[in-house]
Amino acid sequence: MQFIMRMLEIADAAKPRLARGVRLQIDSTTGKSVLLFAEGILELNETAQEILTRCDGRTVSEIVLALAEEYDADPMALAADVRETLIDLQRRKLIELA
Amino acid sequence: MTVPRPYALLAELTYRCPLHCPYCSNPVVLKSATAVTAELTTDEWRRVIREAAALGVLQIGFSGGEPLARRDLADLVHAAREANLYTNLITSGIGLDDDRMRALRDAGLDSVQLSFQSDDTDLADEIAGARAHERKLNAAAKIRAAGIPLSLNFVIHRRNIDRLPQMIGLAEMLRAERVELANAQFYGWAFLNRAALLPTREQVVSAREIATTAKARLAGKIDIFYVLPDYYESRPKPCLNGWGQRYLTVNPVGDVLPCPTASSAIPDLHFENVRARALDWIWRESESFNRFRGTEWMPEPCQSCPQKEIDFGGCRCQAALFTGNAANTDPVCTLSPNRAGVDAVLGDLNSSSDHACDWTCRMNPMKLPVSQ
Ligand SMILES: C[S@@+](CC[C@H](N)C(=O)[O-])C[C@H]1O[C@@H](n2cnc3c(N)ncnc32)[C@H](O)[C@@H]1O
Ligand code: SF4
Ligand code: SF4
Repeated sequence: MQFIMRMLEIADAAKPRLARGVRLQIDSTTGKSVLLFAEGILELNETAQEILTRCDGRTVSEIVLALAEEYDADPMALAADVRETLIDLQRRKLIELA
Repeated sequence: MTVPRPYALLAELTYRCPLHCPYCSNPVVLKSATAVTAELTTDEWRRVIREAAALGVLQIGFSGGEPLARRDLADLVHAAREANLYTNLITSGIGLDDDRMRALRDAGLDSVQLSFQSDDTDLADEIAGARAHERKLNAAAKIRAAGIPLSLNFVIHRRNIDRLPQMIGLAEMLRAERVELANAQFYGWAFLNRAALLPTREQVVSAREIATTAKARLAGKIDIFYVLPDYYESRPKPCLNGWGQRYLTVNPVGDVLPCPTASSAIPDLHFENVRARALDWIWRESESFNRFRGTEWMPEPCQSCPQKEIDFGGCRCQAALFTGNAANTDPVCTLSPNRAGVDAVLGDLNSSSDHACDWTCRMNPMKLPVSQ
């Protein structure tokens, strides 16, 4: 368990990107963002959507700062949310960390 | 009743196929003599794809028969990408040469499910009824080289279930992202060949353990998806997440089906055709899609069962095949008054040691009998 926890730690300098075969797009029926992949569809909550649209080569800390600026939020508090979301997506193999 | 929106379309492009798998879920009898000669044209499929996207569909699976038997496959993948659909090719790999791989990749194909009969060439070729295995290995290499995510699909049955570890090994060797080990579901040719395909209880118990162990060992590397043999279960599979809820299938001649096996398993239900009707109307209004939508149609024991929103009373096709009435509770459910039918099949197999092993290979659809 310990080992798994450690594996899933995400470094500030990591650059998250969509995993191969995963697409991010707007579901025109609902207007919401979805991830499409071979085994299914994931409807994204707002946090995940805001993070994923910024996974364009930026590092985790850059994404956190961009979001903090956009929403006028505390970067420290935001960082935890971003990490949690990224870890969840990585566990589902929907993103990779470069 | 509010009609939900569909998420995925299974496009069965053709019933033609160079292989002869005895477990094939394709129909054993065709509804009309034109089921092979009057396939939808490229333009008709393009229209179906656009209409499906407008209905809310986000994913399309190209299947069949063998979808590579359609020369316009890459054009249809392209049309699906233009409609913003996620494209999945479900194929035996036969016919996938370099040119076609390139065309499919350039068209934007998102992912491939490549089926294998076994890890062992001789057994695989015997099951496929053709020298197919080497060509599939080649196809896997091409898919890898094109950088497209690859899933290996194995249909599991009595003749290959003991090789689960080796089949998983093949997936590792081919660096697949995912492997599906699907116990044969008994529809179409598989229903006909059930006595030869059904695994024994002993085999099923050991296979489940092997799959579970491999799943843990390969976690994070390969996703292992094991589909249980439902005859050995006490509750039915939540078939399609409910009839007419998320999925639709369009068959080679344009009939629109709530599930790919419905037209052969439920002969008394009339299915609409895209040549005569808009897809939207068929999904929302047609009798075939509404007959088993929701829970109101359910008889007892499902109607008063707390599980009814979870398994939707199981599979309509299985109910029809066992009991002659698609509205009945799936006979796999031990609460069904028809469970004895499933137990009889299991009893026949597990009580004796000389098992039938002859099967009928899937035939070229041109030679199939036509109903009526
Ligand atoms: C009907 S095939 C058509 C596509 C292609 N010819 C192939 O075999 O890959 C679609 C998928 O269903 C699987 N399949 C066929 N018959 C089945 C059955 N009776 N139970 C479960 N899966 C089955 C195949 O292995 C394949 O992955
Ligand atoms: S399951 Fe086998 S016989 Fe059926 S369509 Fe696929 S390759 Fe052909
Ligand atoms: S009775 Fe019907 S709803 Fe209840 S578990 Fe059995 S199949 Fe499912």
